[in-house]
Amino acid sequence: MPAWVIDLLERLNSTFIVDGRWQWFVSGLGYTLLISLFSVLLGLVIGVFMALMRLSNNKLLRGISGVYIDIIRGTPTMVQLLIIYFIIFGNVHIEKWIVGFIAFGINSGAYIAEIVRGGILSVNVGQTEAGRSLGMTHKQTMANIVMPQAMKNILPALGNEFVVLIKETAVIGMIANIDLVGAARKVQSLTYDYLVPLLSIAVIYYVVIKIISTVLSKIEKGMRKADKR
Amino acid sequence: MIKVTGLKKHFGDLEVLKGIDQHIKPGEKVVIIGPSGSGKSTFLRCLNLLEVPTEGEILIEDESITAPKTNVNKIREKMGMVFQQFNLFPHLTVMDNITLAPIKVKKMAKAEAEKLAMELLNKVGLADKADSYPAQLSGGQQQRIAIARALAMTPDIMLFDEPTSALDPEMVGEVLEVMKDLADGGMTMVVVTHEMGFAREVASRVLFMDGGYVVEEGTPEEIFTNPQNDRTKEFLSKVL
Repeated sequence: MPAWVIDLLERLNSTFIVDGRWQWFVSGLGYTLLISLFSVLLGLVIGVFMALMRLSNNKLLRGISGVYIDIIRGTPTMVQLLIIYFIIFGNVHIEKWIVGFIAFGINSGAYIAEIVRGGILSVNVGQTEAGRSLGMTHKQTMANIVMPQAMKNILPALGNEFVVLIKETAVIGMIANIDLVGAARKVQSLTYDYLVPLLSIAVIYYVVIKIISTVLSKIEKGMRKADKR
Repeated sequence: MIKVTGLKKHFGDLEVLKGIDQHIKPGEKVVIIGPSGSGKSTFLRCLNLLEVPTEGEILIEDESITAPKTNVNKIREKMGMVFQQFNLFPHLTVMDNITLAPIKVKKMAKAEAEKLAMELLNKVGLADKADSYPAQLSGGQQQRIAIARALAMTPDIMLFDEPTSALDPEMVGEVLEVMKDLADGGMTMVVVTHEMGFAREVASRVLFMDGGYVVEEGTPEEIFTNPQNDRTKEFLSKVL
């Protein structure tokens, strides 16, 4: 066997096998996915509310969501995470992954708000008029007629946002070494080997994202088929 | 039943309705005709506040709908509206399209709403389409469902905004048939249409609108065979 192969196997061994270090990667991937999933859900809730505020007739509500979206989109995610961790939760003991998903959720909410707003605007105004002409309130019309149609339109963009979030959660490393990147860094600090841990997590990220985007595009295709009927 | 006084509507600088006074009595079938841009659709949409009048007063069954404190939703329950583009809810089955408002607005029990919906579907001749989605239906069928949906709220007044203008010619008849049945049943109707045959046959009164005014009105007999106004004559000579 050539020397470089032996060397590589040795490095793989010290990255994954020794002391059961593979478990760090498994748990890191778990946290990465957990934080991404909760973030996108929180972001969706915030996003829907912000989009509705943005489209409301009330000037104050419109203003609040406008400022929120503007500030979140105008500052780096990392800075937002640090502010939330060190300032807002500075004196509170709270699990770091929770801080992470709150920060990423708030961040993602601003982007999702714009996605949702676009989705709502894409629903024909005749739908709202039909609902209102039947005596339904604005809220009933939104909840039963406009939002279900808007959601269908925004699902692809939402899936995309989830994929973006999976990658962005790597920033959690600023406050805690719990995610995939954290696993690589822990191994690195013990073995002084950068190459294998970093390439390994790159491969893991790539494969996970590939799987998720394939599933999402399958769902999207299925939905478009249902439209044709 | 409907009393309109001094109704005006501006869109920015554009004055679409320039002062309309109308009194529509229970059971009347008022058909509004006129060239496009004459304000007839806007007038109809003002009646259930899909357009908010700039000036003037509208009373529906003696209640002002233009007063600031009015519960608009309550008044809209009494008025069904049928649109040119049908506006069925594409994500719901025909059955759900019809039962949604009775269940949500009138808090009707689901079973009761479905029973009512089946009666209405029978009435418009589409009982076998209850489980279909709007996209699976022809334009004429969609419009008949839209009429059934409006009727499910048991309105006192039905408004029709060019209900056959988006239909293929061979489907116009089936929709007009349903509307005639409704008229025969005594429903108060306000219909904006280009179907002169329908106006002639069904209307108790025809309004001819042009340039934001009701230029001439009368029985179909008077309007179609003996129009007085020059604009009415000119319009009718083009469409008849």
